[in-house]
Amino acid sequence: MSPLCLDNLLPDYIKRFEAYIPSKPDPELVKLYGCRQLYRLNNNENPLGPPEAAREAIAEFPAPRAAVYPSGDAYYLRQKLAEKFNMEPDQFLVGNGANEVISFVIKAFCESGDNIITADKTFAVYEWVAEFSGFVASLVPLKNYEFDDQGMLDRIDDRTKILFICNPNNPTGTYWNTGRLRRFMDEINGSKIVVLDEAYFEFVEAEDYPNGLSLTREYPNLVIFRTFSKMYGLAGLRIGYLAGDLSVVDAIRRTCIVYSVNSLAQVAAVAALGADDHIVRTRSMVRQGKEFLKRELSRLGLTFVCHEGNFIMIKLPMSDTLAYRKLMTQGVMVRAMTSFRYPNHIRVTVSEMEAMQAFIDALEKILP
Amino acid sequence: MEDKPHPNRIGLPLCGLDLTIRGRRTCIQEETSLPAKNTNTVTLNVRANPMFLHLVTTFVEKSAIAFGLDEPEALSLTLATEEIFAYLCQSSSPDREVWLRCTGGGYYAEEEFQFEAKDFSMRAFNLTASPSVDSDPELKETGLLIASRMVDRFRFSQQDQELRLVLMKEKSYPRFSELPAASTQPLKEFSVKAPDPEELKLLVRLLNLSYPAHLVPMSFRFPGKVVDMVASGDCFAIVAADRSGHLGGGALWRWDGPKLVELYGPYVFSHEPDSIMAQALVEHFLGSVAKSSAVGVINRHSTPELPSEYFESLGSLTVPQEEGPPLTVPAYYRHLEEDLGITIWAHHSLREFLRKEYARLVFAREIRLITDEGESSSSYSVLSAEFDRGSSRVTLRPVWWGLDTEENVANHVRILRDEGIGGIFFAMDLGKAWQSRFTPAVLNAGFEPRLVLPYAGKGDVVVFQLAGGESSR
Repeated sequence: MSPLCLDNLLPDYIKRFEAYIPSKPDPELVKLYGCRQLYRLNNNENPLGPPEAAREAIAEFPAPRAAVYPSGDAYYLRQKLAEKFNMEPDQFLVGNGANEVISFVIKAFCESGDNIITADKTFAVYEWVAEFSGFVASLVPLKNYEFDDQGMLDRIDDRTKILFICNPNNPTGTYWNTGRLRRFMDEINGSKIVVLDEAYFEFVEAEDYPNGLSLTREYPNLVIFRTFSKMYGLAGLRIGYLAGDLSVVDAIRRTCIVYSVNSLAQVAAVAALGADDHIVRTRSMVRQGKEFLKRELSRLGLTFVCHEGNFIMIKLPMSDTLAYRKLMTQGVMVRAMTSFRYPNHIRVTVSEMEAMQAFIDALEKILP
Repeated sequence: MEDKPHPNRIGLPLCGLDLTIRGRRTCIQEETSLPAKNTNTVTLNVRANPMFLHLVTTFVEKSAIAFGLDEPEALSLTLATEEIFAYLCQSSSPDREVWLRCTGGGYYAEEEFQFEAKDFSMRAFNLTASPSVDSDPELKETGLLIASRMVDRFRFSQQDQELRLVLMKEKSYPRFSELPAASTQPLKEFSVKAPDPEELKLLVRLLNLSYPAHLVPMSFRFPGKVVDMVASGDCFAIVAADRSGHLGGGALWRWDGPKLVELYGPYVFSHEPDSIMAQALVEHFLGSVAKSSAVGVINRHSTPELPSEYFESLGSLTVPQEEGPPLTVPAYYRHLEEDLGITIWAHHSLREFLRKEYARLVFAREIRLITDEGESSSSYSVLSAEFDRGSSRVTLRPVWWGLDTEENVANHVRILRDEGIGGIFFAMDLGKAWQSRFTPAVLNAGFEPRLVLPYAGKGDVVVFQLAGGESSR
């Protein structure tokens, strides 16, 4: 038999692509690094967990319903979203985490030879999905830690289909205000799809921060991503959504995988949506944590980037991946930022004070 | 398996044997996750039958010339191929299928054999193998010995029952000019970018003139060769230049297997301490490889300008110099990912060294000890030897474990010492349990463990150096 020649079978864009390998489960990491406990400060999860109403919905979920397929299009959740945001249910598409809806949009609008535009130092999944789908991801360098609007406009060519903007940006926390976003949308003038990823929307307290959903009425080419993984503490259930103009969402729906969102996630998300007190408590915790971190990091002589969102990025006088390993031995798990093209930086989830103190104590021990 | 027609493939039924020839210009990857290489390949699929010997040698010779080798180099590769194919014909049934792939990578031509490993003796690829007229089986191996010495590099790999044998021959290039290439004053402002071919040749000349030989690998002493290496995707380069085109420095890197990148430099011609340029070059380099399949970066040619806060100290190696006593040079490493921890295999005599190194480097490792429980083994072992004659260094690597390992390693050391090699190294992949079986023989031959290179092979690689072998050249 002739030897298997993957070289002839794999598309070039798959050969070039490197699979993402997620970290091991916590018990395995604890064993490997010999620590007693682990503070997870790497994924910007909410340490307060889901809102009370969502907890109750999860606890009351009848086990026999696991045998029944979920609502294929998250019917009740879309009703609830429409009611909350004064839109039509069909203006929403629910996915298995916001990551899935990124694929829906790219598949809907891109064909061979097309490209997308985003930033070089932002959430990596836009770039990944484009590349492993065979499309070029054109990466515009951040300017002063912010998405560079003019730089992105200058990159547009005839084959550009989508521009992805992370607002606020992960990992820098910077955002475009309403005026800046409007000017950008006016320049685009409906010629391209603009995706505004608002994964950290509920954390932002700045008054000039735009509400993307309301802007979709004026800009039908604007698509909004939101997630239940961050503020609403449902990361383990994987549920997020996109919203936009009816015609655009109808086009995207053609590439949408139905039944990909499980029933438990759907009922928990419906319950979570009304939990405004949860948002207030979480914002308060983040505010307190940020103040503490800024004070302590300044005391240690470290520079940091801290804007919106429940995270802070810190510049270290050492390799971030080495810092990651050393912090793991102290029971603190952060995000090493070389993979975000920020070498010698770490990103830390702002959490409860016990975890923040543990992080600072560990950091002091490992700094050269 | 039926050989189905293919638009790019010509099927020639010949004497009941399948013969196919195909050629293409393509971007290929040696491993699926490596960056694409800009190479030309032609392939030939034949049975191991002497009637095809002339076809095989003609295929290789014509391919090598088409790929840019001069006649003498092409002839060497052809003769090596002839010896191997003849040996295959002698040592196996005429039904054995052999896949040959000749690849032209700009600065080299490479011949790859792929065939069933059964009944094939790799013993002759030992540097120590010598022709013997006393017994027929060893006489058969003489051809392979000749082949192994006709090429610049050879390497083996085995997966399941398939053996891959790769012979490589490089083109000849003129050495860099000793004449000053350009001024090297500090630049007031600069940007980092990929150089065009003329800038790249200038970079190579300048770094050879600005840095001692031990900081410049032999491959980088030939400007034209570096241009071809970059064009083929085998090497990557960046330069720091001002708007007038003056070069202030640069850095180069190459992949060393699917998970490791070797960085050379950063070279900063003004030799400013705490150079912003050095930091900019390193950051640009890290940005280039951060989202690749590379897990780590090694730097064994670190310049004084290397910004140490970006790297971890692995240890040091002692290297011979062209003049003067041997030098102790540091080796630096940088991990690119959040380490997930791995299991490695080790002989008990190496456990303490590894335990200390992993604690110092803060790498989570489960060390599993190998055992010998009376299982059958091959009667012979095989080592590959990778020469860097310009630097008077040789790196030995295990290819095949066998009962004569102790004697084989000792013989290799003797031959290399007789040849006056100044730096003799042994690289052992701890991700492959069988390689750890070489440990007692390596230690008994006088090697000392010097470095652990994380993820440099299937697992981590331990680099041993022969103690007291670091003579000057």
